[in-house]
Amino acid sequence: MRLAWRTAELRMLLPLLVLVPLGFVLTHVAEAGKLDPGPLGLALGYVAIMLGAHVALTLFGHRGDQLLLPLVGTIGGIGMIMLNRLPQDLAGTSVLGVDLGMAATQLVWFGISVVAMLVVAIGFRDDGVLRHYKYTWAAAGAGLLAATFVFGKEVNGARLWIDLGPVQFQPGEFIKIVLVVFIAGYLAENRALLTGASNRIGPISIPPLPYLLPMFAIFVIVMLIVVISKDLGTALLFFGIFLTMLFVATGRRSYVLIGLLLFVAGAFVAYELFGHVRLRVDVWLNPFEDPAGPAYQTVHAIYAFGRGGLFGEGLGQGLLPGVGGGFPAIQTDFIFAAAAEDLGLVGAFALLFLALLLVFRGLRIAMLAHDDFSGMLAVGLTTSLGLQTLIIVAGNAKLIPLTGVTFPFVSYGGSSLLASFLVIGLLLSISHRAARAADAAQS
Amino acid sequence: MTGDLLRILLLVLQLGFLAILYLILFGFARSLLRDLRSAEQTQRASLTGIGRLAVLESPEDQPPTGRTIALGPINSIGRNVNNTIFVEDDFASTNHAMLTFRGRSWFIEDQGSTNGTYVNGHRIERPVALSFGDELTIGRVRMRLER
Amino acid sequence: MIVTNVRRLGVYLLLTFAAVSAGLSYWQVVDAQALASRPDNPQVVAARRTALRGTIFDAQGKVLASTAVVGGLARRTYTDPAFSHVIGYASLRFGTTAVERAWDDILSGRADPNPLRELLNDVLARQPQPKDVTLTIDQRLQDFAAEQLGDKVGAIVALDPRTGAILAMTSTPTFDATPISGDPNSAVGAMEAITSVKNNPLVDRARQGRYPPGSTMKVFTAAAALDAGAITPQTTFPDQPKQETEGFVVDGFKITEHDLSPVRPALWPLSEALQVSSNIFFAHVGLELGAKAFLDYARRFGFCEPSRIGSGSHSIPVDPSYVTTAAKGDCTDFSDRTELASAAFGQAQVAATPVQMALIAAAIANDGVMPEPFAVRDARSHAEKPATGPSEAILERYGGSAGTRVVSSKTASEVRAAMVDAVEGKFGKLYAGQGAVKLYGAGGVVTAGKTGTAQRAAGQAPHSWFIGFAPGGSGATPQIAVAVLVEGGGSGAGLAAPIGGKVMAEWLKLEAE
Repeated sequence: MRLAWRTAELRMLLPLLVLVPLGFVLTHVAEAGKLDPGPLGLALGYVAIMLGAHVALTLFGHRGDQLLLPLVGTIGGIGMIMLNRLPQDLAGTSVLGVDLGMAATQLVWFGISVVAMLVVAIGFRDDGVLRHYKYTWAAAGAGLLAATFVFGKEVNGARLWIDLGPVQFQPGEFIKIVLVVFIAGYLAENRALLTGASNRIGPISIPPLPYLLPMFAIFVIVMLIVVISKDLGTALLFFGIFLTMLFVATGRRSYVLIGLLLFVAGAFVAYELFGHVRLRVDVWLNPFEDPAGPAYQTVHAIYAFGRGGLFGEGLGQGLLPGVGGGFPAIQTDFIFAAAAEDLGLVGAFALLFLALLLVFRGLRIAMLAHDDFSGMLAVGLTTSLGLQTLIIVAGNAKLIPLTGVTFPFVSYGGSSLLASFLVIGLLLSISHRAARAADAAQS
Repeated sequence: MTGDLLRILLLVLQLGFLAILYLILFGFARSLLRDLRSAEQTQRASLTGIGRLAVLESPEDQPPTGRTIALGPINSIGRNVNNTIFVEDDFASTNHAMLTFRGRSWFIEDQGSTNGTYVNGHRIERPVALSFGDELTIGRVRMRLER
Repeated sequence: MIVTNVRRLGVYLLLTFAAVSAGLSYWQVVDAQALASRPDNPQVVAARRTALRGTIFDAQGKVLASTAVVGGLARRTYTDPAFSHVIGYASLRFGTTAVERAWDDILSGRADPNPLRELLNDVLARQPQPKDVTLTIDQRLQDFAAEQLGDKVGAIVALDPRTGAILAMTSTPTFDATPISGDPNSAVGAMEAITSVKNNPLVDRARQGRYPPGSTMKVFTAAAALDAGAITPQTTFPDQPKQETEGFVVDGFKITEHDLSPVRPALWPLSEALQVSSNIFFAHVGLELGAKAFLDYARRFGFCEPSRIGSGSHSIPVDPSYVTTAAKGDCTDFSDRTELASAAFGQAQVAATPVQMALIAAAIANDGVMPEPFAVRDARSHAEKPATGPSEAILERYGGSAGTRVVSSKTASEVRAAMVDAVEGKFGKLYAGQGAVKLYGAGGVVTAGKTGTAQRAAGQAPHSWFIGFAPGGSGATPQIAVAVLVEGGGSGAGLAAPIGGKVMAEWLKLEAE
């Protein structure tokens, strides 16, 4: 093990020392109405966790990408600031008899997730476990999904949660990773054998059967999620990840097009058959028809964007969290709308831009990966983060029907945070191995 | 007027917060661009190399285990020293296999060897396209195709 | 190769992010203003239900409209129904009208007349600071005018011809604006009660009522013809005396005179013709002037297009007046010479608002310069105790524009002399003598004026008109110009003229105090 300085990472992490505490101070001054920095423990704790991760990676001589951690740290930092700014009794937990508020609970999850990320990034030296046992993983994912269907608890009309005594978790977040691993393994194995070959029925080029089968299987799974879990966001996300990876593996837009047509057809059927789908779509199309009814959240999210304007109402000064005596799901589904109201379009753009940079970074890791499986894995993982961000932001802004996925690294919730950091851990390990291989080739 | 003072302070803090956020963004964008430029350079340098073979296991140590072999478009593999990739292994045939880069993909073709050529543990019957990361077995020598 | 596809994927994702950003920009910038005014936006709901609104004062500092926050709810109270049409209402249910609408930004405090302070308020997200406005209208004159109309349907407009400041502007029947502006639920019932009354009280007849002006139009015809040089004060028409009894045939259509008794027809020049209000004389004048010049002067006097009281966004609209058939908000050409001849004495297709007719009188009074009317004098910082009068801090003044010259000074004085004769002259006394202010306590003051008895369809009583100003004697400076209209009030001399005289006399008395 060789110690390697990670100066770029450190340089981009240090500004967090100013940014996160400043956000906390701003919130406190706005809320207390007097000049007083307020408690900064959580802010400093957060920055300490990120710097701690940096030190750990350095000590273990990790050669992985140096911008991932600072990007995630900045996005997560804004998330911590927003969660600290919301009413603290929205969520929380009690650890060893100490009651923790929402932001404190999230900080604990940050700690756990970052450790998990480090374990994956540093400990994961061989991807054979993933690629050779892809069917085992697929089975595990399917089992988890089935468990959600059977034991899942319905919250806000969607069945996403599994209750494990003291801990609840959202299996969907982890099934997502398993799905990416499986598709990456499947496509990497079959890609080269099948490029070029395709059957034609008339003018339409039909993908060869080995593509068609898993495509169909995943479509069925996605529709099952829509029907049984009523979780439109996860369904859209899964299908989007699959189509994206299929495109990268084959370079064929036609496959994506066929997949999209399939999705549209499925969506149409779902709209006709299922009340909860129809409601979501109707609310999306005509939110102002009944602003006090089911469109309540959508309408008020839009108002929040409008109030935010260019430079925002000011951290801690937005009205959305207080609408109706407490806005439902503001700490999860609508955290972006709350941030856009407080920080304005300028702040919202910054958040989106950070997410985009993270995506670019992930795709770069995919391009530099030393084998096809790692590359496909990186593409899938990156896409999962990027699409998830796009789906929730577009849903908040009424560009697509609202769906309940989380904003990675920003929304409140342990499952989401843990899964997102596992993704980062995997990306770090992929880029680490690519760097080592490049070194080996040069020497 | 204290209310106004507070509002001015909040405004300044808010703008300061956003300014720092954008400074950080700028830093990221700069790092990203710099990496992109260096990546292009390395890519240009590696254009001559279309792939390489990493030797994972070689009981006779020829080719040496751990070595990475840069590949040309046409590579013959076998126990004859005239092969592009000379394999010193009792289970390999004299002219064992051909590893060729055609258009966009790598292909491996067995040259009628006694013990066969394996891709990811499966014996091949006809020319087979490879992906990066695939494992080749020639005799007892295991190699992996890498970019 | 994968690398190429990944790069393409990067481009696609970039485009998707850009599309989402564009969507955000729409809500946060493009549509933000519209969203901020949606009634169920918590920002608006909270602000409107609880927000103080500026006070509206009359010219003497009397409270006309004020808002008190009772139990967290804002309640607006209007003290004087005579002002309901000028001030309008600010209702949570029905929105705003008239001054409440045009000055909403000032009264609600959304806007500050000082642009720098407005910017500061905006960036500092200060609570809106409501401001007060002061009208140019004097409540004493307004109430007096409303009393004169009583339960008759009509309108009175009085203004200072020198500045354009509206001194009184009232319309009957009127309504109480307070219940409409109160609790949004009971406001519906209040509104229904108002609109179910005959002669829709919501209409401001001064600004929105269009009536044939009858003989009051002759003031305009005389001014236009003198100014264009078509006639002089001495011009006579040889056929006129005969036509007074036999009728004047224009293009096959016979124009007949109204009942001239007890005066006997003679060869009259302008002054006498105006005194007896000869339709035949003015038909000749109109034909002499010609259709094109008639229309040109009409436009110059403000006919044929909508106008405003006030300027810019801080103004209340006045419906357009027409001299010919209206089309697309403009006057068409005269269809024939008969129409032109009839328009010259205020019939045919001529339709004018009381505001328009008051402005014609004001232009003659003001030496040929038509003043720009305004009803709000200034915006001031909010007075904490409205009962003790407006604050001293004036933020912005309105009005005071120089006006527009419509006829020469010479023309104005010639028309003015004829108008004085129309009230005070030998014949005039018999027709419009009741409009003289000296009858109502303003002794020694000479009045200028003209009555109108606007004929309507057969069987309907004519509209009673009077326009005039005082003092009108040569060398005196007119202080008030009026237009009085009583719907179906019969002859101008009988009803409108005495009301006009009383209103002017009352003002001169108030001014003298």
